[in-house]
Amino acid sequence: MTLEIIPEKGHAPATLPLPNFVNGATWISPLMSYTPNREPFSAWNKLILAYRRYSGSWAYILHRLTGIGLVVYLFIHIWALSSLTRGRAAFMQEMQTFTSPPWKVAEWLLGALVMFHAFNGIRIAIVDLGSGARYHKKLLAAVWVVGVAVVVGMFFLIFSTELFAK
Amino acid sequence: MALDVQAAPVLDPEKVGSNRLVRSYSRARRSGAPAWWLQRVTGLALVVLTVGHYILMHYNPVSGHDYGETASRLASPWFKGIYLGFITIGMYHGLQGIWNIVRDYKLKPAVGLTIFGIIVVAGIIFVGVGWNTILTFDPTKP
Repeated sequence: MTLEIIPEKGHAPATLPLPNFVNGATWISPLMSYTPNREPFSAWNKLILAYRRYSGSWAYILHRLTGIGLVVYLFIHIWALSSLTRGRAAFMQEMQTFTSPPWKVAEWLLGALVMFHAFNGIRIAIVDLGSGARYHKKLLAAVWVVGVAVVVGMFFLIFSTELFAK
Repeated sequence: MALDVQAAPVLDPEKVGSNRLVRSYSRARRSGAPAWWLQRVTGLALVVLTVGHYILMHYNPVSGHDYGETASRLASPWFKGIYLGFITIGMYHGLQGIWNIVRDYKLKPAVGLTIFGIIVVAGIIFVGVGWNTILTFDPTKP
C-alpha cells in the first residue's frame, strides 16, 4: 500500500521538484520558493517563512497594522476637529495646514488603510458568519481589486484642483 | 517545516493573580463571544459609515475642509445623530481591536489590567471630546 500526499490547491507541496541549491539555500527572500528542512537564521526569516505561504496570513497582519493605524488616526482626528467649538477662525486656520500638499497626500494614503481594513473586514465577516472559508482567497483577491480601484479613484477626486486646474 | 511549535505552559491560576478582577482581565477566563459578535456587527456598520464618511469628506477638495459646508452639515439633526453614533461605535470597535491584539500576548496581570484601564479611560475621554464638538457646535461663533 502506498500513501500519496496530494497538496491542497494553493498550498505548498511537501517537497518541491526543484534543484537542491534552491530547496536547501540558506538565504531567504520573500520572492524565493518554499524551503523545507532548513533552519531559518533570524526571527524575521522565521516570520517570512511562516507567513508568506498563505495570502490569508498576510491579510491578517495587514488587518492588524491598518487597524492600529486607524485607531491612532481616530484619536488625532477627534482631537483636531475639536477646534470647531472654538469658532470659524480657529477651524479655518487649522484647515490651512490640512489642505497643504503633504497632508493631502497623507489623507489620500489614509484612504488606502480605510479601504483595506473595511473590505477585508467584510471578508472576515463572510468567513466568520457565512461560508466564506470555502472561497476566502477569491474574496481576498476581490478586496485588492476593489480597494485599489477605490484608492486610485479617490486620487483623482482629492487632487482634482491640482490635476484639472484651468 | 523548520518552525518549532511550543506547547503553551500550563499556569496555576492561583499564582497568576490573587485578585479575581485582575485574573479575569489578564487571561482568557471568559468566553469573549459577545465581544466577538459585537466586533463583527459594529465592523459591518463601520464599513458603510467610514467609507461613506471618507468619500463624503473628499469627493471634492473643499467638502471636508470648508467651514461653511461643515456648518451646513451640522445643522441637520440626522447628521448629528449619525455622527454621535459613528464616533461611539468607531471608538468601541477600534479599542476593542487594540485590546484584542494586546490579549494575544502573555502579560503579567497588573500590566494587562493597566493597559485595559488606559484603553477604557482614553476611549471615554475621546468619545466625550467628540460628542462635545458635535453637541456644542455654534455656527455663529466667529
